Amino acid sequence: MRTCALALAILLGLPWPALAAVGCDLNDPDRDVARLFPGSTGFKTSYVSIKDKGGDALLSRVEVRLGDKFKGLYETIDVPYTIYEVLKGKQKVGYIHGVNQKGVYGGIQVFLALDLQGNIKAFYFQKLTSRYAKALRDPKFGKQFEGLSLKDFQDYDAASGKAPDGRLASVRNPAPEAEKDFRSALRGVKKNLILMDEFVFADKKPKALPAEKAK
Amino acid sequence: MTIYRIAYKNLLRKKTRSLLTILGIALSAWVLASLLGFNRGYEWALNRDIDNMGFQVLLTAKGCPYEAATLMLKGGTGLRYLKEVVVKGVAKNPEVVAVTPMLMQAVFDPNKGESGGMSAYLGVDPATFPQAKGFLEFKKGGWFKAPEALDAVMGYEAAELEQREVGDPLLIAEKNAEVKVVGILKRTGTQDDGTIFLPLRTVQKVFGRKGQITGLGIKIRKDADIDKFTQRLYDLPDVQVVSMAQVKNTIMSLLSSAKVMVFSIAVIAIIIAMVGVINTILMSVFERFQELGILKSMGALPKDVFKLVWAETLILCLSGSALGVCLALGLARTTELLVRRLLPYAPNGSLVQIDWALAVATVAAVTAAGLLSGLYPAWRAARVRPLDAMRSEAQ
Repeated sequence: MRTCALALAILLGLPWPALAAVGCDLNDPDRDVARLFPGSTGFKTSYVSIKDKGGDALLSRVEVRLGDKFKGLYETIDVPYTIYEVLKGKQKVGYIHGVNQKGVYGGIQVFLALDLQGNIKAFYFQKLTSRYAKALRDPKFGKQFEGLSLKDFQDYDAASGKAPDGRLASVRNPAPEAEKDFRSALRGVKKNLILMDEFVFADKKPKALPAEKAK
Repeated sequence: MTIYRIAYKNLLRKKTRSLLTILGIALSAWVLASLLGFNRGYEWALNRDIDNMGFQVLLTAKGCPYEAATLMLKGGTGLRYLKEVVVKGVAKNPEVVAVTPMLMQAVFDPNKGESGGMSAYLGVDPATFPQAKGFLEFKKGGWFKAPEALDAVMGYEAAELEQREVGDPLLIAEKNAEVKVVGILKRTGTQDDGTIFLPLRTVQKVFGRKGQITGLGIKIRKDADIDKFTQRLYDLPDVQVVSMAQVKNTIMSLLSSAKVMVFSIAVIAIIIAMVGVINTILMSVFERFQELGILKSMGALPKDVFKLVWAETLILCLSGSALGVCLALGLARTTELLVRRLLPYAPNGSLVQIDWALAVATVAAVTAAGLLSGLYPAWRAARVRPLDAMRSEAQ
């Protein structure tokens, strides 16, 4: 009888769909994953939100690392981020992850294909509303991000758009008039890399031994 | 010890059998309550969707009426255009309270996704549309005032998707026109959530559709004869008239055949549950043949035995139907999700509405059906003769 009551309680307690914040998914995952990761044979999808992963503490940490506050309807603590784990046979070969970013004229969706170490393999604007969209969506622009990692963005000031000397400084804005959208793209990339670091790579970093911790 | 307590203890003697019977009854009560709740909820949600349109009649250019109905309910684009001069002619009718012209336009945005996508804009008259849609509330900002303003009001989801806030610019792709967001609506649960509203004149100008509209919403007096009025509208050249009553009737008649099928399933479920009740109680009567004989030899009257066995049926049916109603209440949202997947058109809002009156009615109906099926086993028990019972014991 107790088991029946428990089963009923579980049934009645099933989560109901709620009106959640808007996430960022690939429009056509089968096609897009194959294009961003040539040679891949499949993918697994998982959903993570800052709220579920670490709550307010994680949000503050992400904001500090980004150097800017989360704002607007699209940057809330409950945004569900979709992480595509890309497979080649049974072997994991990388990740694809996208974020929403506010642009001058509309939403920008910045997708990154990352290898297992977190280095950018491909950059992709899934959505971009801009007068200079053609230049920004040019493959040459996206190519500039290949090989960069979170380390290159660490000192990038997302609020002011000041880039430090180094590999990131070599990323050129293809249209000087599109400066704001260019900065938005860089902010989107940095946010994307930080979130991936917190959601995926932080769990994979080797834990320090007790002796090392003591040091 | 009351008769109900004895009946309860009797049921506990065969726990698994009693539990399975209760589950059978619960399932039938669940189906019945969900179905009645859906019957009520769907019509309510459809009426709400239609009321939220702000007008009872829509005038469009001649075309398929079902296509026009879908366009209205889904907020899609019109296929053909009406001349705007029609507005004045229609407004002169005595039945008309208000008219609001609309122009839906869509552009191809090559930068949406890998191979581009469509962006739609609804041009509305700032003088009449806000009154017609009086229920719309703003999260921030308000309606545009000037008829040719380069302003936009965005539904909540449209703003969320485009990441726009009040004061932000919005680019109409392909047309290279820039408008300013002056208002963001609160969530309504209707197609308005995904709509970008612009002043009618602005849309006409930007899209080169001067003097043209795709639809005319007409609000008529409550006491007006809607059929006569729509007949008169057909006198206008090349127009299609769609009244919301027509749309509702069409959708409800499409749905009615599905309802008959599901109701049949509910009836079958109830019959199966009732057969289960007869089986359980009858088995129990046969197993207690001697016991009932002894009861009678001790002075119990046939009506006492009848009551005892009927009380067992009552307990089974009451607990089963109560459990079923609880399931229906608790899983209403899940049922709604399933229904939405199955139906080609489902209005916004709650599709399954189960209130206390409906819950009580379900429990009463299932219990009454159960008590009816309990009549025969109780009658058999009441007819047991003490002598026969003792003889069977000796054998």
